[in-house]
Amino acid sequence: MTPPWSRLELPPFLERLRVLTVKELLQLGRDVGLIAFIAYAFTGDIYVAGSGMQMQLRNATIAIYDGDDSAASRELIGRFHPPEFRIQALLSDAQDGLRLLDQGRTMIMLDIPSQFERDLSARQQTAVQLQVDASNSVIGTWAAAYATQIAATFGTDHAMGGMPTEAAMPIIASHHRIWFNPNSMDEWFVPIIEMMNIVTMLSIMLPAAAMVREKERGTIEQLLVSPLTPIQIMLPKVLAMALVILLGITSSIVMLRYVFAAPIRGSLPLFYAVSLVYVITTSGLGLAIATLVNNLAQVGMAVILALAPIMLLSGTWVPAEGMPPGIRWLMYISPLHYYVEITLGIFLRGTGLDMLWNHLLIMTLLGLVMFTIGLLRFRAQLR
Amino acid sequence: MTAAALVVKQLVKRYGNLTAVAGVDLEIHPGELMGLIGPDGAGKSSLMKAIAGVMSYDQGSIHIRGHSVSTEREAEVVKPMVGFMPQGLGQNLYPDLSIEENIDFVANLRLVPAEAMAQRKERLLRMTRLDAFTKRPMKNLSGGMKQKLGLICTLLHEPALIILDEPTTGVDPVSRRDFWTILSELLVQRGISALVSSAYLDEASRFDRVALMHQGAILVQGKPQELLQLVPATVVHVRLADQMAGLAQLRTHFPKTLGFGEWIRILVPTADRQQASERVRQILGELPCQELLCEAPELEDVVVERLSADQHETAATIPRAPPRHHAAPAPLARGALAIEAQALSKTFGAFRAVDHVSFRIPQGEIFGLLGANGAGKTTVIKMLTGILRPNSGDGQVAGVDMSHSGPMIRQRIGYMSQSFSLYFDLTVEENLKLYAAIYGVSRHEQRSRLPWILAVTELTARRSALVATLPMGVRQRLALGCALIHAPPILFLDEPTSGVDPLGRRRFWDILFQLARQEGVAMLITTHYMTEAEYCDHLALMHAGAVIADDSPLGMKQTLVARLGHVFEVETQDPYRAQQLLQQSDFPHAHLHGRRVRLFSQDETAIVERRIMARLASQGLGVPGISRSIPTMEDVFIENVLEMERRGRMAAAP
Amino acid sequence: MNLKRLEATAAKEIREMLRDRFFLILAFVSPPVMMVIFGYGMNLDVENIPFVIVDYDNTPQSREYASHYTHSRYFHFLGYVKDQREAQQLILRARIRVAIVIPEHFGRRLAQGRSTAIQTLMDGANPLRANMTKSYIIAINSQVSLQQVTDFMATVRGIPRREAETMLQPVRLEVRYLYNQGAKSRWSMVPKMIMMVLMMAPPFLTAVAVVREKERGSILNIYSSTVTKAEFLIGKLSPYAAVTAINGLVLWALATQLFAVPFKGSFLFFVLATMAYTSCTTGIGLLVSLFVSTQAAAIVVTMIVTLIPAMLYSGIIIPLSSMGPVPRFLALLTPAMHYTQIVDGTFLKGQGLLELWRPLVVLAGYGMALFVIGHRLFTKRPRA
Repeated sequence: MTPPWSRLELPPFLERLRVLTVKELLQLGRDVGLIAFIAYAFTGDIYVAGSGMQMQLRNATIAIYDGDDSAASRELIGRFHPPEFRIQALLSDAQDGLRLLDQGRTMIMLDIPSQFERDLSARQQTAVQLQVDASNSVIGTWAAAYATQIAATFGTDHAMGGMPTEAAMPIIASHHRIWFNPNSMDEWFVPIIEMMNIVTMLSIMLPAAAMVREKERGTIEQLLVSPLTPIQIMLPKVLAMALVILLGITSSIVMLRYVFAAPIRGSLPLFYAVSLVYVITTSGLGLAIATLVNNLAQVGMAVILALAPIMLLSGTWVPAEGMPPGIRWLMYISPLHYYVEITLGIFLRGTGLDMLWNHLLIMTLLGLVMFTIGLLRFRAQLR
Repeated sequence: MTAAALVVKQLVKRYGNLTAVAGVDLEIHPGELMGLIGPDGAGKSSLMKAIAGVMSYDQGSIHIRGHSVSTEREAEVVKPMVGFMPQGLGQNLYPDLSIEENIDFVANLRLVPAEAMAQRKERLLRMTRLDAFTKRPMKNLSGGMKQKLGLICTLLHEPALIILDEPTTGVDPVSRRDFWTILSELLVQRGISALVSSAYLDEASRFDRVALMHQGAILVQGKPQELLQLVPATVVHVRLADQMAGLAQLRTHFPKTLGFGEWIRILVPTADRQQASERVRQILGELPCQELLCEAPELEDVVVERLSADQHETAATIPRAPPRHHAAPAPLARGALAIEAQALSKTFGAFRAVDHVSFRIPQGEIFGLLGANGAGKTTVIKMLTGILRPNSGDGQVAGVDMSHSGPMIRQRIGYMSQSFSLYFDLTVEENLKLYAAIYGVSRHEQRSRLPWILAVTELTARRSALVATLPMGVRQRLALGCALIHAPPILFLDEPTSGVDPLGRRRFWDILFQLARQEGVAMLITTHYMTEAEYCDHLALMHAGAVIADDSPLGMKQTLVARLGHVFEVETQDPYRAQQLLQQSDFPHAHLHGRRVRLFSQDETAIVERRIMARLASQGLGVPGISRSIPTMEDVFIENVLEMERRGRMAAAP
Repeated sequence: MNLKRLEATAAKEIREMLRDRFFLILAFVSPPVMMVIFGYGMNLDVENIPFVIVDYDNTPQSREYASHYTHSRYFHFLGYVKDQREAQQLILRARIRVAIVIPEHFGRRLAQGRSTAIQTLMDGANPLRANMTKSYIIAINSQVSLQQVTDFMATVRGIPRREAETMLQPVRLEVRYLYNQGAKSRWSMVPKMIMMVLMMAPPFLTAVAVVREKERGSILNIYSSTVTKAEFLIGKLSPYAAVTAINGLVLWALATQLFAVPFKGSFLFFVLATMAYTSCTTGIGLLVSLFVSTQAAAIVVTMIVTLIPAMLYSGIIIPLSSMGPVPRFLALLTPAMHYTQIVDGTFLKGQGLLELWRPLVVLAGYGMALFVIGHRLFTKRPRA
């Protein structure tokens, strides 16, 4: 007895779509290496990125030459503490500090002059020197900014001794309300960005690889003499790969939620829908690549070549605002740029379609242009 | 006596659980040409790689000229004495390098002294007639040229033993004859020993000795004539008015009976021709027999006989197709025009790949398209199936130009491309179901169609196997199954049997024959196996993009006999010199075939024999035997192509 | 070791390279392109942060305060909005990253010598940007506060403004940036990009080159001939090492000419160290090629084993000295980290062999070890 539903016949177009999509999934499922890579990308890589990246000052190493060795100098030194700073060495000779800096064994050297306490009690200004290794400029400037802050507070604290309370002074206090990620947890942000990079990479690479494999094996000819139209050949690949990527996204979301305890404030279904649109439209780029290359190795190379600028132009690491106008415009036509904004909106800002529709619209339009170009190139090559 | 060139004892090679070589003993003497034949997956390649010292083995021993090859260090010692050419067209060559660069690289790698190298290179290039193309990148060479280049690269360091793994697979007959001529010359001249595997059993007669391998073991080995005597039998050809009825009746007694163009070919297990023909007439009984011929069996018959005795019994008959489903295109009337090419032409840049090709194929006919590599056969098929657009001319399938056709017309054709375009990472059944869906065969109809396909192609037991794990012959049956899934009335088959073993090929042709005769399917097929050409109803021979002959197989042979006469085979001690002498005298078509010289003559046998004897005796060469036979399809092919090349040269000359 | 065979292998490889257009692009065009993209793109200085001001005070003082933001190159002023709600909406829509809220009575309280607080609403979705923004705001607030308090003290105590300033700021921190006086992110990033780019392309090219020969079957030529393993490996890989070395020089020229990063150290030493680094990256490609059998797998595996460690453990993001014990150990295992010391040292610190012999020795040893392992693992008589 066959179950009654198995007699159900889909119209030929849908039936072909179904069978060809299933075929792509089966093929992918049997490619153990590729599956392992996809699984690694959506979990391992995101974990590594989430736990390894840090974008604030942590453990900046400091070597200190205390020429005064007084209560005041020790108090100042005590203010350089973890998590921002880590004292690497207390020096007996200031020259040693420069050597440590040269060798890269410390990042900062603090040089406290001998009459530090005396000057301080005499209410005279005293200069403390800070040598910062700026070969890593970002961290160097962070460290310098922090240290300046510490020295200023230390000074004010001393100066305020015996003076009216702060409230009685015209001081402007800074009250920050950092929304969405009040403690600036990098592990809420970095893994999301990494996930989007992975989604971008795979949605270019997987359909391109599937297409090129048909070319390499010669099966494409078999499809060409069949009654399939180019869209019918192409669409199942895109659909199957989109499905796989959405599955991968799910495992990443589980990780975000339970390993990094990141919040998901907005609507997950909306995120899936947006991702689907993004993946399908981005695959157009992959299909365009597939028309240019002849084997899988070249797909890999082309994807790597294409990916660096795409990620850079997403505005994740380098905000569009800070870019020269030419590059800024390139960023505005990168679909990833909008995908990033929408995703951050959904995950962290908890915004919904009402606020994101314009980003979504632009992303979809850009994606459609890309997809159409891919489709046209693909068709042109088949004919 | 010097040490044997090669001694293999009890060699075992395993891949995980699979035993590829299971205790092989083999010995090759200096100057001997040893053939290795057998079905796919018999372990030929593994054995050859182990001998060449490029793969480790598990048990047993290999000695080359007395040197053991059991460790990587020992293998290094024998490598200067060994030349190895792996399986696959141009496998050991670099596609982006030119002929000369490929040769120079190998020569330098082998530290051939500059002077010797220049000499050898010059001689080998001249022999292989590649000297005109030394600057051409390897990727732009035809299959035959690639293999000749591969041979040069294998011979440059003048090894004592050469190991060639299927050097002629996928190579057209002309290049194949070239290849064997060069090899024979070198063996004779230099005393080199060779171990050569081949999928073409008609080539086996060229070997000094042949070993038949099956399932990792050597079933039999010996001289080709000795092997022929292992199976005492007669091949009977009959022509009947009702071919299908005769076929059915004969099969009940002789399972190896085959349709053969309009003939039926029967292998009768007795060497007595009189007795054999009587038995056939007896079985046919009432059916009127129009013609009957007896022949000696070929090596292929012996191999098929030995292998099928060893394998599970293949179904003798092929089940009839289930009734056509409603989505299937209605069959055209038998005799209606199925495929028509009218002055089809295609150029790639300055290269004229197809030049005004015309032919007509009616429904129910098996039409063979023959030609050397690069003659334009595949391009013709691609134009007819709509993959390529012709520059001029018209290609019609079922009355419609395929390049403008819609999906409905494409439903009518089945296409099997050269590389058996299957999905290797899908199972047999998944591949079939995929193509079923692509061609819109509903799931309901698949339930009757699929079991039939599986039965016909004998894949029922392997339905869940991944294609990647299947041997070549099985893949090819599956590819045919995929092309047949939607019951197309027209089939395009592009070298469907290349690299497939004889058993598989017979089964394959059985299927095609039944489709043509019972379902009225029209087929356009290309092949490099000249024995297969005889299965076709009609042949077109292509050369340099043009059709140069268009006739039935028999008609082609008769034309050749009319032009050049009969074939004479001469046995002699020094075949190389004999061939040169005869070629220079009255027999310009004299060529080497193994250790014999073949030539054509229109004169009477006695006269020809006298002339040959006289010519050879004058140079002190004895002639133990001369025999006369009718030309083979290979002769037809080669002589036609050579004739065209001659004319081409004449036209080019001022 | 027979030089003729080695030469033949290398010459063949170079010929194949030169005829493969795709390879040429990948080998010679992509590294400089990446360098240019990263050099211009990896500018981590956050500028032009879009923001609005909610001014509940609307006094000359509040406007004077606001001008500190509107005139800063770090901020890009998009206008005043009427209330916090509106500002919030803009943040949610990702139109602005920050809103400065000036409270009522801001001007009056300051004039009266009383403290006041500025409320900033910030989009924290991108913590990097949020942190930077926060530190800019704190800096501006401290600066304005200091002015206010100095003026106040001077008035209250009747002392000169200068004295009041000294009193309030008894400790002056004199910051000196070493090696990169302007703390320019381009000076710091571009040399490290040489390290990144040289880590991306060569292992990839090498792995693909060896695997291609395996995949195609032409490796059987090598197996069946008398060329030794060392001859083959050196002959096969040296062209790729040469390509990498050439790229290293091109990247060096880009860094010093196009990006105008100073090169203060020994050029000879830099060349030497780059060659040692090249031997490491090529060696990694070789090892990968011995474990995989298809070109596609080679690409994927090289990407995982080279890019991520080079990103995380080379010191680009976190300086080695700031790492915990485990990352530090991992960093010591990546040639990228040792080479980062060399590029930083030669470009910015003006160092040479004297100071940097240690990473050089490590790199050379590393490369040698990779080749020895590769030589051991490579066999001319494999199991299958």
